[in-house]
Amino acid sequence: MWTTQILREATNSTYTDLVSGKTPALIVPNVLSSSFCISLSRKILKTNLMGVNLGISKKIGTSLSSHIYKKSEYFSNALLSNQTLKNLFSDNVSPIDVMQQTISKISQKKISSAFENEMIYSIAMIRIHEHGDSVHLHRDNSDFEMSEYGISNLKNQLSAILYLQSPLNGGKLTIYNKMWNKNDEQMRCPEFGYSSDLIKNVPQKNIFPIAGNMVIFNPKLYHKVESVIGIKSRISLGFFFGEMSKNHLCSWT
Amino acid sequence: MADIVWGTVTKIISTNSFEMNVSHQKDTNGDSYQDIEEIHFTQIDIPSIPVDESSRDILQIEQNLKDKFVKCEISGRNSENRLVCSVSHSGAGGY
Repeated sequence: MWTTQILREATNSTYTDLVSGKTPALIVPNVLSSSFCISLSRKILKTNLMGVNLGISKKIGTSLSSHIYKKSEYFSNALLSNQTLKNLFSDNVSPIDVMQQTISKISQKKISSAFENEMIYSIAMIRIHEHGDSVHLHRDNSDFEMSEYGISNLKNQLSAILYLQSPLNGGKLTIYNKMWNKNDEQMRCPEFGYSSDLIKNVPQKNIFPIAGNMVIFNPKLYHKVESVIGIKSRISLGFFFGEMSKNHLCSWT
Repeated sequence: MADIVWGTVTKIISTNSFEMNVSHQKDTNGDSYQDIEEIHFTQIDIPSIPVDESSRDILQIEQNLKDKFVKCEISGRNSENRLVCSVSHSGAGGY
């Protein structure tokens, strides 16, 4: 049965089942304490350096998908946004480090942020979904249209999301038991994502954005984020990671 | 405003033309277009494809365009009945 796994103890198959999509997602509970999430979220909401993204009110960070063919601009923006994130997390333990350490334990592989020609990739992205924000059906693997970037060659790419603030209502992540393949490009929406016809009658799993929980899943599985309802924003921190070698993972956004 | 169509590249014909499966057309387009059109591109925003046509080869075009979802801004039709277009990548499959 296609069921979300809640991590009690990592086994040999935990990581491989995520890679194959046999498990829709792994939930790692209480990666951060609720008091830490509250103080971090307050700090994030006071930060002025924010951009916008499709379906999202605010974001802090740089993403590859906004720079598919603008590589030098991506690395310049990554340098700035990485510094913003480091400043934001300077008072305490960095949640990015906590996420990387957790992934390292689960996968039993070393993990570090990705570099290309001595330029560092964007290390993470904070996404703030406000009332009414949603993200249409999409997939996030970089191995198809991002061939300009070295990370597109990394094997077994996964997505890691840490929830820092839960909304009052809505904002759930829905993952579908359907992996992207290149023929699906015929079902693309011009601006972003894919037609909902792709996931008609496809089994799905819903994941509620509980502050402190980390979710890992295969970003080739189609997924979407439901509308946030209420005055409390949904805040998440995320990055992707993939295998640079058998025992070494690299992460980026 | 130029007419715009979107779709996936199904076949590379030459270093400046391809066949496309048209899946979307702009609502306000002046003309309507076939489900399959041949495109002659005069401009393209993919850095791996050289601006100078003599520096391109078919393999390079295939690697960068085959099966990709693209946006075509149409300026007319040429004598081979191909749509003359400025081609760019379109949106993103994800974030």
